[in-house]
Amino acid sequence: MHIVVLAKVVPDYEVPAGDFELTNSRAHSRYKRMMGLYDENAIESGVQLKEKYSASLTIVSYGIKADIQVLRKAVAMGGEKLSLVLGGSDDPNVIAANLKMAVEKLEDVDLILAGQQSADMDRGIVHGMLAEMLGFAFIPQVAKIEQEDGQWKVIQNTESGSSELKFGGKAVLSITSVPENVPRIPVVRSIFAAKKKPVVQLPEIEGDAMPVDELSVDIPKMESVCEFLPTEDDPAETAKILLGRLREERLI
Amino acid sequence: MKTLIIEMIEPKRLGELVTVSREFCEQPDMVAVGAGQIPGSFGKAYQVADTVAANLVSDLASLILKEGYEIVLLTASTLGSGIAAPLSVKLSAPVVSEVIGIKPDLVVERPLYGGKAVATYKLNKMPAILTIRRKYFEAADLQGFTDSSPLSIAEKKVALIAEKEEKTEGIPLEDAEVIVSGGRGIGAAENFTMLQDVADLLNGAVGASRGAVDEGWVQPTQQVGQTGKIVAPGVYFAIGISGASQHLAGIANAKCVVAINKDEEANIFKRARFGIVSDYKKIVPVLIETLKEEA
Ligand SMILES: Cc1cc2nc3c(=O)[nH]c(=O)nc-3n(C[C@H](O)[C@H](O)[C@H](O)COP(=O)(O)OP(=O)(O)OC[C@H]3O[C@@H](n4cnc5c(N)ncnc54)[C@H](O)[C@@H]3O)c2cc1C
Ligand SMILES: Nc1ncnc2c1ncn2[C@@H]1O[C@H](COP(=O)(O)O)[C@@H](O)[C@H]1O
Repeated sequence: MHIVVLAKVVPDYEVPAGDFELTNSRAHSRYKRMMGLYDENAIESGVQLKEKYSASLTIVSYGIKADIQVLRKAVAMGGEKLSLVLGGSDDPNVIAANLKMAVEKLEDVDLILAGQQSADMDRGIVHGMLAEMLGFAFIPQVAKIEQEDGQWKVIQNTESGSSELKFGGKAVLSITSVPENVPRIPVVRSIFAAKKKPVVQLPEIEGDAMPVDELSVDIPKMESVCEFLPTEDDPAETAKILLGRLREERLI
Repeated sequence: MKTLIIEMIEPKRLGELVTVSREFCEQPDMVAVGAGQIPGSFGKAYQVADTVAANLVSDLASLILKEGYEIVLLTASTLGSGIAAPLSVKLSAPVVSEVIGIKPDLVVERPLYGGKAVATYKLNKMPAILTIRRKYFEAADLQGFTDSSPLSIAEKKVALIAEKEEKTEGIPLEDAEVIVSGGRGIGAAENFTMLQDVADLLNGAVGASRGAVDEGWVQPTQQVGQTGKIVAPGVYFAIGISGASQHLAGIANAKCVVAINKDEEANIFKRARFGIVSDYKKIVPVLIETLKEEA
C-alpha cells in the first residue's frame, strides 16, 4: 500500500493581524516558512496509517527549494521520501496539475491525504481539483480512516456531526484536525535519519491557470477599541460592571 | 445570468444563497440535496437523495452544461467544498471559495492569510463556481415551496453508511445571540460546564477555539473560526482564547466581543470591546453568581 500526503510550506500563519504586511500582494518575505497546520494533521494521519497497515508513505509538495528543510520535518514524522515540484505559482489549477504530475511519477498510489486547507491561501480547493484530474473520488473534512473488508471506511466531520463513508476505489481525502491526529514531534534520531532520506526534485510543468484575475489584495483595518474593566478589587464588581455595560448597549 | 444553487434543504443556508443569487439573476434554479420539501420559490428545482458530494459531481456537471448555467452557488460547507473543486475541473470553470463579498461585473472577495488579508478577483469565464462563507449575507425569507424533478445519479463512488448528529441542547451556535466560547486556556473538559452555565443564564450557546477542540474537550461542531462555525452573535465571550486571526475570522460579524484572558498582551484584546485581564476562574464563577442573583 502506498500513501501520499500533500504538504505545503507557507509563511508563518501565527503572525498577528496587527503585524501582518504584504509585499507584491503576498505575505512579506521576512516571515519564517513553516508547514501548514492542517497539512501536519494530514501527515500525522498518514504516518498512523503507514504504521497500522505497513504502508509506504511519500510526501509530495509544490514549492521552492528552501522549503526542503521544512519538509524534512514531515519526513522525520514518518515519511520515506519527499517529492518536491519546484515552482512558485499560487494558482490552484497550476498547483494541482503539478501535484498530479508528481503523483503519476510514483507507482501505484492507493490513497492521497491532504490538509483541509492551506495555511496561506485558506481555500480548500487544490486537493479536490487534483482528485478530479486523477479520476479519484474526493472526500473533504475526514477525521478518521480505517480499512474494512478491503475497503476504506472514513469518518467525515460535518456542520452538524459526522458521516461514516465507505469506498473501494482511489481517493483524495482532506484531513481535518481531531485530538487523534495532533502532529507528533519527531525525536532527534528521526530528524537525523530524515536528512538521509531521498528527495526527488522535479521541474514544474506548465498548467492552465484558472480564468480568474486577482485584482488586489488588501489588509482590512482593525480598529482596537477595547475598554479594560477594573479587576484589582472585587471580581463581583467587575462582573456587575460588565453586565451593566452589556445591558446599557442592549446586548443582553 | 442563469444561476444554479446547490444546497441541502436548510432554510438559513439556502436563504443566504438566495440573497447572493439576486446579485446575478431574478430567480435562481436549485438542486436540493437530500430529502424534504424545497422551501422558497425557484425557477426550476431538481432534487437528489444522495448526500455524498463525490457521487454528485458528474451528474451536476452534465446538468450545468445541458441547462447552460453561468453561476453556480454553494455554501462553504462540507457538502459545498466536496462538490466545488472537482466540479470546476469537470467544467474547466473558475472556482472561488469562501466568498464574503460580491461586486458588480463578476468581481468577488475572499479572505486569505487567516483573514489578515482580503483578495478581490474578477471571474473571466462562465460557468463560474462560488462557495459562499456563512453569515456574510442576510438570509432571504423563503416563501412557499417549489416542486422538484428528480436528478438521478449514474455512479455511486462512495457509500454513506451512517450519519451522526451531535446533540446540541438549546440554541444552535449559528443562531445564538450570545456565545460563550472557551479556548485552550480553559484547561480541562470539565471546566466547560462553567461556560455552559453562563450560556444557559444568558440564553446562549457554547463555542470553542480549535485549541480546545484539539485537546478533545469539546466537539468539533462547536469550533468557531474560519474552519469551524462562522457566527454573528450580539455578544461573543472569548475566554482563555488567544485570538489567532483564524479564530477571529469566524467572529468578524459579532457585534461585541468580551475577552477574558490572563495575558494582557493577548491578541484577542485587539478585537474585544470589553477586556478583563484575569484568570477566568476568578471571574466566571462570580459572573454566574451575579447573573443568578439578578435573575
Ligand atoms: C488554516 C488554519 C485554520 C484554522 N482555523 C481555526 C478555526 O477555525 N478556529 C480556531 O479557533 N482556530 C483555528 N486555527 C488555529 C489558530 O491559529 C490557533 O492555533 C487557535 O485558535 C489557538 O487556540 P486557543 O486560542 O484556544 O489556544 P492558545 O493560542 O494556546 O491560547 C490560549 C489562551 O488562553 C489564555 N489562558 C491560559 N490560561 C488562562 C486562564 N486560566 N484564564 C484566562 N486565560 C487563560 C492564554 O493567555 C492564551 O491567550 C486555524 C489555523 C490555521 C492555520
Ligand atoms: N503547493 C502545494 N504543495 C503541496 N500540497 C499542496 C499545495 N497547495 C495545496 N496543497 C494541498 O492541498 C490542500 C488545500 O490547499 P488550498 O486549496 O490551497 O487550501 C493543502 O492543505 C495541501 O494539502
